[in-house]
Amino acid sequence: MKRKIFSLLFVIVFSFLFIVPVFSSDLDDLSVDTPLLIDSANLLDDFEESDILSQLEEISERQGMDVVIITTNSLEGYSPMEYADDFYDYHGYRDDGILLLISMEARDWWISTSGFGITAFTDAGIEYISEELLNFLSDDMFYFAFDSYASLCDDFITQAKTGEPYDYNNLPKDVFDLVIYFLISLVIGFIVAFIATAVMKHKLKSVYSKTEAHEYIKDGSMNITRSRDIFLYRNIRRTSKPKNTSSSTHTSSSGRSHGGSGGKF
Amino acid sequence: MAEIFEYKCPCCGGAIGFDSSLQKMKCPYCDTEFEIDVLKEYDEQLKSEVEETISWNKSSETKWQEDEEDNICSYICKSCGGEIVGDHNTVATSCPFCGNPVVISGKISGSLKPDLVIPFKLDKKAAKEALKKHYEGKKLLPKSFKEENRLDEIKGIYVPFWIFDADADVNIRYKASKVRMWSDSNYNYTETSYFAVAREGGIGFNSVPVDGSSKLANDLMESIEPFDISEAVDFKTAYLAGYFADKYDVDSNDSEKIANDRIRQSSQEAFASTIEGYSSLVPEFIGIKLHNNSVKYALYPVWLLNTTWEGKKYTFAMNGQTGKFVGELPMDKKAYRKWLWGLTGAITAGVFALLTLIWLI
Repeated sequence: MKRKIFSLLFVIVFSFLFIVPVFSSDLDDLSVDTPLLIDSANLLDDFEESDILSQLEEISERQGMDVVIITTNSLEGYSPMEYADDFYDYHGYRDDGILLLISMEARDWWISTSGFGITAFTDAGIEYISEELLNFLSDDMFYFAFDSYASLCDDFITQAKTGEPYDYNNLPKDVFDLVIYFLISLVIGFIVAFIATAVMKHKLKSVYSKTEAHEYIKDGSMNITRSRDIFLYRNIRRTSKPKNTSSSTHTSSSGRSHGGSGGKF
Repeated sequence: MAEIFEYKCPCCGGAIGFDSSLQKMKCPYCDTEFEIDVLKEYDEQLKSEVEETISWNKSSETKWQEDEEDNICSYICKSCGGEIVGDHNTVATSCPFCGNPVVISGKISGSLKPDLVIPFKLDKKAAKEALKKHYEGKKLLPKSFKEENRLDEIKGIYVPFWIFDADADVNIRYKASKVRMWSDSNYNYTETSYFAVAREGGIGFNSVPVDGSSKLANDLMESIEPFDISEAVDFKTAYLAGYFADKYDVDSNDSEKIANDRIRQSSQEAFASTIEGYSSLVPEFIGIKLHNNSVKYALYPVWLLNTTWEGKKYTFAMNGQTGKFVGELPMDKKAYRKWLWGLTGAITAGVFALLTLIWLI
C-alpha cells in the first residue's frame, strides 16, 4: 500500500514536469530516460538545472553508474532514508549508483548508495562529501552544493575503480591541503632555523658551570659490591583497537540493500 | 608464633597486609599484589640505606717560611681589592682582574703557602693565538668586535685552587620500569613492570679542584678544567718569576660544598650508568658517604685576557697547561635576525616545494 501511494504520488508530481516513462527497475538500459536531476523543490533556476543535469548525465554515462540528485518539499511522511532508497529503487535507475536527497520540509539531506555505489562511497567517504556539501547547503547555495557533489562523485567512483575506494585512511586531496602544507612548512622552517641559529648562538658561549667531577675519577677505582634488581609488581593496561570502517548497509522496502547516511543542513 | 611483618607498599606507600585467599601480600589502597619474598628483600634494601654526612680532613696547613716571605711581595688593587703576589723581579703595574693600577703593599703575611703548583707550559704568544682561533667559525660574532678588538691586558696568573681527594661509598636505589607491548585482534596491551634496582660500592676521586679566588668567576675557572695534577710539583717561589699569583680569599671550608656536590653527582651518575635495560629510572634513595678525604692548596696556571667592547668588559681565560680557551662573546643581534628569518624562508620554501610535489603525484 505504502509503495503504491508513493509511486502514484510521484507519477502525479512528475508527469507535470518530466516525462517518466518507466518505473520498472529491471530495464537498466532506460536509465538515460530517467532524469538524474529532479528539482521538485525548485531550488535551481533553469540555467543551473540544465548545467547540473548535463554534468550528471555525462558522469553517469562515462562511469556506468547513476549519479542522482532529487529535491523535494515534502517527504510524504517517510524518513529521509526510506524516501531516498525507495526513490532510487522505483525509478528505474541502474543497480549501481548514488542519490542525493534534499528535503526542504525539515531541511534534511540524505545520500543513498546502491550496488557498486555502496563500495565506492564508504561511511567515511560520505562523511567527507557531506562536510563539503554542508558548507554550501547551510547557506542555501544549492547550485554550488550540487556542482561539487557531481565532481566529488566522479572523483570517488574513479578512485573506487582502482580497487581502493576513498576511506577514512585515504580521503581525497583538497586544494585546502596546500594551505595546511604551507603552514606545516612554515612551522618546520621556523623550528629548523631556530635550532640552526641556536647552534650559532651556542658557539659564542664557552663558559659553563660544572656540576660533576667525571674527569677526576681514579682509574679503576669503581667497584660494585652489591647489585640487586628486585621485581616488584606489574600493571597491564588494555585499550581497544581502532576499528576499520567501511560501508554499512541497510535493506530498503524493495528488499535491495543500500548504504548511505544523512542529517540536517 | 608467626613473625609479624609490617611493610610499606612500594607502589603507593600505604601499609600493606597479607591476603590469605591469594597467599600474597596485597595493598588495601592500590590493590597491587606482591610476593612476600619480594617485599622482604625490598625491606632489607631499605634498611641498608642510611644517610651520612661528609666531612673533610684538613691537610697540611703550611705557613710561609721567613726567607720565602722576603722574596715575594704582594700588591693590592685599590679599585677591586684584589691581592696578588709576585716575586721582586716581577713588576705589576695594573690589576689583572680589573685593570686598575696596583700598589705594593710589602710583605705578605697570614695566609697559607701553597702545597703544589702546576708550572706554566704555554706562553703569552700561545694565548694570543688561541684568542684568534676562539673568534673563528662564529657567524654571529659582531664583525666590529673582531676588527676593533684590542686587548687591554694579557696576564699569566697562578690561580689558587683547593683540591679535594676523596673516596665515596655509594648506595643508591632507583625505581625502574620495563614496558612490554603486544596486541590481539581486539585490544592493544601495555604491560609496565616495576623494579627496585639497587647498587652499592665504592669510587675514588683524585684532585677535584675548586677555585679559591673570589675575583675570578667559578664558572670561568671550571670551564678551563681539567688540569693534569700529575704534572704538579712542590711549590717554590721561583715558579712565580714573570707571573703573578693570586692569594686565596675563599677558604677551603667554603669551597667544600662545591667539591662535595660535584663528587656526589659523579658518583651517582657512575653507578646509575651500570643500570641497564629499563625504560625509566626514578631515583628513590641516594646515599653517598665520603671518606679518606684530604684538601690541598695548589696554584694552577691561567692566562687571563681582558678586552672592552662597546663599554662592556669581556674576560677570556686559557688553561696555561692544556691551552683550553674559553670566554663569552657578544652576539650580533642584527645578524641573528637575518640568519633566523633567512633560514626560515629558505627552509619553508624547500619543504613546501617538496610537499607540493608529493601532493601532485
